[in-house]
Amino acid sequence: MSSSLPQQYQDLKSSFERRPCDLQRCGQLLDSLKLSLAEAGLLIPQGHHDLGDLTVARDILEIGAFWSIRSQDVPSFERYYAQLQTYYNDYATVLPPSSRRSPVIGLNLIRLLTQNRIADFHTELESLPPKELVGDDPFIKHPVNLERWLMEGSYSKVWNAREEAPAEEYKFFVDSLMGTIRNEIATCEESAYDSLPLKDAATLLFFPNRSDLLNFAQQRGWQIELTAEIIIFSRSVEEKAEIPKRKLIASSLTYARELEQIV
Amino acid sequence: MSKEVEMKSVDEKKKEEKKEEKKDSKDGKKDDKSKDKKDSKDKKEKEKEAEKPKPLTPLQEIKLNITLIERSVVTLEPRFTHRVLRTFTTLKKKLTPEILRESINAVYVKDNLIKQTLLSYLPPPPPPPPKEEPAAMEVDTAVPAAADAKPETKAETKSETKAEAKADAKADTKSEAKPTETTPAPPPTDPLPESEVYFRLLLIHWLLTSPESHPKALELVHDTITKIQTWNRRSMDSLAARVYFVLSRVYELLPTVELSEIRPLLLRSQRTASLRHDAESLAAVIVLLLRNYLHYNLYSQADKFVAKVTFPESAGNPQLARWLYYTGRIKAVQLSYTDAHETLQQAIRRAPAATTAPGFWQAVHKFFIVVELLMGEIPDRKTFRHPVLEKAMKSYFEIVNAVRTGSLSQFQASLNAHADQFTEDRTYSLILRLRQNVIKTGIRQLSLAYSRISLRDICVKLHLDSEEDAEYIVGKAIRDGVIEGRVVHEKGWMECGGGKDGYGVEVSEAFGKRISFCLELHNESVKAMRYPLNAHRKELDAAEGAREREKELAKEIADGKNLDGDDESMGDF
Repeated sequence: MSSSLPQQYQDLKSSFERRPCDLQRCGQLLDSLKLSLAEAGLLIPQGHHDLGDLTVARDILEIGAFWSIRSQDVPSFERYYAQLQTYYNDYATVLPPSSRRSPVIGLNLIRLLTQNRIADFHTELESLPPKELVGDDPFIKHPVNLERWLMEGSYSKVWNAREEAPAEEYKFFVDSLMGTIRNEIATCEESAYDSLPLKDAATLLFFPNRSDLLNFAQQRGWQIELTAEIIIFSRSVEEKAEIPKRKLIASSLTYARELEQIV
Repeated sequence: MSKEVEMKSVDEKKKEEKKEEKKDSKDGKKDDKSKDKKDSKDKKEKEKEAEKPKPLTPLQEIKLNITLIERSVVTLEPRFTHRVLRTFTTLKKKLTPEILRESINAVYVKDNLIKQTLLSYLPPPPPPPPKEEPAAMEVDTAVPAAADAKPETKAETKSETKAEAKADAKADTKSEAKPTETTPAPPPTDPLPESEVYFRLLLIHWLLTSPESHPKALELVHDTITKIQTWNRRSMDSLAARVYFVLSRVYELLPTVELSEIRPLLLRSQRTASLRHDAESLAAVIVLLLRNYLHYNLYSQADKFVAKVTFPESAGNPQLARWLYYTGRIKAVQLSYTDAHETLQQAIRRAPAATTAPGFWQAVHKFFIVVELLMGEIPDRKTFRHPVLEKAMKSYFEIVNAVRTGSLSQFQASLNAHADQFTEDRTYSLILRLRQNVIKTGIRQLSLAYSRISLRDICVKLHLDSEEDAEYIVGKAIRDGVIEGRVVHEKGWMECGGGKDGYGVEVSEAFGKRISFCLELHNESVKAMRYPLNAHRKELDAAEGAREREKELAKEIADGKNLDGDDESMGDF
C-alpha cells in the first residue's frame, strides 16, 4: 500500500462523516484513492492480501457507494457495488464483518426495485443467507417488505412506508419508487374501472393537488369530463382472434412428414 | 440442493438399499451381468433357486469389471465401461480393505510402482490369520459353485461372449477360494491405465466411508485427476467423469476444506474437456460447477455460467437430470416460472426411479411443487401420496392446502411452523413469494362465488388490513387477468364478469406441443436403438415368408371375390 493512502483514507473518513458531508471533497479523494487501490492491487483483489489492507479497501469502496447515492449517481453506485461483491463473497470468511454491509445490500435491492428489475431483485435476495432474510435487519427488511407489498398490490402500504426508510440514503430512491407505483396503479385503474371521480383518483394515486393529477392524466391519455368531475377510461377494444392459418398448415405438414417416417 | 439434502439423500438411499439388500441378496448381484441376457434370466433364476443362491462376491465382481473395462478399451465400445459404472453404487457398499488388497494383488501380478501406490492407501495388511478369513468368508457362498467351475485362466477373460465371461467369473471364484496356490497364469500385459483409475475410484469410495480417512481420499483424488489429465485417453472419459464427481464429494464431506476451493480446478477441467470433446467429463464438471455455485447461493454467477456453456447432448440421463434440476432452480429464482416448471418436469422424467434415488426425487419435487404453486396451479394430490414423497412433502402439502383454500392465516401458520425445513431445502424465499398467490386464489374464488361483493367483505374474508388495500389488490388482480370484473368505486363493490370461453388458438398450440414431444420421443428412441450385425437376415427370411403368404392370401381373395360375386348375384334374385 502506498504511503499516501492511509492519510487520504483518514481524510475521506473525516470528510464523509462530517455533517453535512463534503460531497465534492469526498469525490476527489475517492478518485485518487481508487487509483492507489488499483496500484496496490486492491481494487479487484486476488489471492492473499494483508487483512488490514483489505478492510481499508472495503471501507473506501463502501464510502464510495454511499457517496454515489448522496450525489445521486446511480451508475456509479452500481460499479461500487459490483466491486464490493469480491469483499462480501470471496473474502467473507477471512474479513471481519462490516457494519455497512447490510445498508449497501439494502440500497442495491431498492435500486433494483425502482428500476423494476424484479428478477434481479430476487436473484440478489437469494444470495443472502436465509438468516438475514427472515431476520430483523431493518436495512434488508425494508426493501423486502416493499417488494412484497408491490407484488400483492398493497400500494398504500408502500406509500406509508416511504417515510420509514432506515437510512438517509434510502430516501433518494423514494421519489422514483413513487413514480413506479403511480404507473402501476394507473395501469390497474385503466383496466379495473370504467370511470372514476377526480377526487378519488387523486387519493388513489396519492396526488396532493388537482393540477398534478390533471398533468398525470394527460400524460397517460385519459379522458377527463371536467363538468362531471370524472375520468373515463377508454376500453381497449378486444381484437378479434384470427385463425393463424399458416401456422396451422405448417404444423399439420410437420405431423404428416413425421408420421410418414414412422409408418 | 444443499449439502445436507444430498447427504441425507445418500443416507436414505443407503437405508433403502439395505432394506432391499436382504430380500434381493439372492439375485441382486446377478443383475449387472445379466442385463444382456434377459431372455435367459428366468431360466437362470430357476436354476439358481434349484442349486442354491450364489451371488458374485465383491472380489469376483471387481475382477469381472476390470475385464469389462479392458474389453471396452480394446473394442472402443464405451458401453462396457458404462455397465461397470452402473454397478458401482451397489459394489462400493461391500468394499473392505481385504477385498481391495486381494483384487489389486490379483490384477497387478507384477510388483510395480502402480501397485505399490495403490496399496499404500490401504491400511497395512494384518498378520497372517486374516488371510484365511476372507477365504473362510467366501466358503459359504463361493465353494458350492466352485465345485462345478471349470479351471480357466485369467488370459481367457477377454473372451467375447457373455457365457464365457460368466464361466470366467466362476474360475475366479475358484482361484479365490484358495488365494495363493492356484493363482492363474499372469496376464500377458500390464493392466491398462483405465483399470488403475477404476481401482483408484474404488479406493476413494472406500476411504470416504470413515471420516478419519477423508484427508487420504483428498490426496488420492487429486493425484488421480493429475494422472487423468496427463494421460488424456478418450477411453477413460466416463471414468474421469466419475473421478470429478468424487472430487466434489470429498470436498463436501471434508470439513477442513471449502467447496469453493475446487472451483478454479473445475473451471479448468471444463475448458479442457470441452476442447477435447470429452462430453462425459464435460457434463459432470458443468453439473458440479452449478452445484458449487448454488451451494453458496451464487445465483447470478450460476446464471451467467449457464448462459455461457452448452450442455453436451450426448450426456447420460443422470447428468442431464441434475443439469435440468439446477437450471430449473435458477429459473425459478429469476421468476421465469414457466421455464422452471418445464425444466423441473423434465428433470423428474429423466431422473432414475424414485426408489433408487429418493433424495434427488424428493428435492426435485419440492421445487417442482413450489414452482407449480407460483404459477397459480394446484399440484396433483397424487404426488403427495407417493410412498417416497409422502413423508418428506408433508410440510409442502400444508402449504398447498393453504394456497388452495386461499387462507392467508393458514399459510402464515404453516410457513412459520416449517420455516426450518424450508430453509434447509432452500425453498424458503420461493415460498415467501407465494403470499401473493394465496391472495390471488382467494380473490378468484370470491369472484367465482359472487357476482357482486363489497370491498369490505373481501377485506374481511381475505384478512386484509384495510379496504383501501383491498381496492388496490382487486385492481391489480383484474389487470393481471386473474379475474374478470370491474370495481365500482362510488358504491365500493366489485362486480364480476362472466368467465372466458376456453377454446381458442392456444388449444391447438398446446396440442401441437404435445404431438411434437411424442414425435421427438419416437425419433430419439429410434436413434438410441442398437442394431446387431446380420440380425436383419432373420427378418428378411421372415419377410420372404410373409410375402409368400401374402401371395397366397391374394390368390384366395381373388378366388373369394368370385364367390362373393356369385353370392351377390344370388342375393339379387
